[in-house]
Amino acid sequence: MSHVERNREAWTEYAPEYAEWAPRQWASGEITWGVWHVPESELRALPNVEGLDTIELGCGTAYVSSWLARRGARPVGIDITPAQLETARRMQAEFGLEFPLIEASAEEVPLPDESFDLAVSEYGASIWADPYRWIPEASRLLRPGGRLVFLVNGTVMILCSPDEELPAGSELLRPYFGLHRVEWDGTGGVEFHLGYGDWIRVLRANGFVVENLIEIQAPAEGDPHRYPGLPDREWAQRWPSEQIWVARKRS
Amino acid sequence: MSDSARNRAFWDGHSDSYQETHREHIGRPEPRWGLWQLSESELRILGQVAGKDVLELGCGAAQWSILLAGLGARPVAVDNSARQLEHAREALAAAGLDFPLVHAAAERVPLPDRSFDIVFADHGANRFADPYEWVPEAARLLRSGGLLAFSGSTPFEVMCWNEPADRMDAELHLDYFGLHRIEEADGPVQFELPYGEWIRLFRANGFEIEELREIQPPPGAESTYRAAEETEWARKWPMEQIWVVRKEDA
Repeated sequence: MSHVERNREAWTEYAPEYAEWAPRQWASGEITWGVWHVPESELRALPNVEGLDTIELGCGTAYVSSWLARRGARPVGIDITPAQLETARRMQAEFGLEFPLIEASAEEVPLPDESFDLAVSEYGASIWADPYRWIPEASRLLRPGGRLVFLVNGTVMILCSPDEELPAGSELLRPYFGLHRVEWDGTGGVEFHLGYGDWIRVLRANGFVVENLIEIQAPAEGDPHRYPGLPDREWAQRWPSEQIWVARKRS
Repeated sequence: MSDSARNRAFWDGHSDSYQETHREHIGRPEPRWGLWQLSESELRILGQVAGKDVLELGCGAAQWSILLAGLGARPVAVDNSARQLEHAREALAAAGLDFPLVHAAAERVPLPDRSFDIVFADHGANRFADPYEWVPEAARLLRSGGLLAFSGSTPFEVMCWNEPADRMDAELHLDYFGLHRIEEADGPVQFELPYGEWIRLFRANGFEIEELREIQPPPGAESTYRAAEETEWARKWPMEQIWVVRKEDA
């Protein structure tokens, strides 16, 4: 089974849980990033999105796109999992926010070249699709000068995470060199994580200028997250559990 | 004492033993990088140097600049240690070469703006000077389109150094956030930054990021800088990296 099929299967299984969380995420007045909910107003990863054509790669329940829509963007969300898109459609009806949702992989997007100003992915295609396939697609879809902003797990966290889906400790458990496809025992999905130099190379090779790498430090206060495989706040205050790459397509 | 003065004193005191210990390892006939002396002709970091104004930050005995002069570059070599520059002067005389050797810290280089096409360091001043001060200096010294390239340590090496046991291991002994100034008892003050901090510092100083080359020592790689078990460690996690950035057109 291809990683796309395996991830669709895994996400079909996760979808009911994400459907439960979706209403609160859609209702949020603030754009936040990752499991620590760090506000965009602090991180400033996104450009002003008003009037921009945006595409969310691996949108899931499309709450990120809903935040962009409310700020004047014209979003399109794509995802490989019909069950996730069903939740997104239900939220659209509930919140009265309509925008196109397309069942597609970020590795092969059925949309024309240079049709977007911003491509975004938060724990979407950014970790569930192969960067050597989805970064070229993102580049193709963006207009010159367009932005690519995506959140992935911190490289240090991936290296310190055991094969079982358990939180990272303080020991490097897997090699850095060769980091690419990562599978966790007991979960059906396939993730993709790269080292820093490899991310820079794949972005450059696809016409992007690397603008920023925002490594998220968990804030001192807040609610615990709900993910058994992710480290706790104390860990994430010391080492990065999440990072946001910001790149611009060369004009 | 400032970090710069402290590191100057350290290198004045250690220059002779450093040059003696590593003389053969770094006394190569062609430009080579770093801990395992990998050849520039294979790594291709600097590109064509002939006819270019090249500044070396933290030149030691100027082994690099001497070889670049031989390839047609016009080098200027800077070091914070007078004793290192004495070794450089002897090496220049032995090679029958004459180019400027400048005694200065990389944070404050007494040379004019926009006077170089390439600024580089090979485990040089970049390890011993504060990046928030020397990167702006490098930007000032470079012409538009000029290249900054430097090899050095990595956040992983810094975090996994087990100081009490005096060896590398797989444990993160230090936090990643806040990584900047690393001070060891009786040693020099060294500097290393998180990846995102480097990227923001380059961008803030008008550099476009071209590459981060993370060095995995090839089979058979040897070093007088690292023990065999440390080289083994470096086969799994990056112990050495080369940043390559270019000054954007003004």
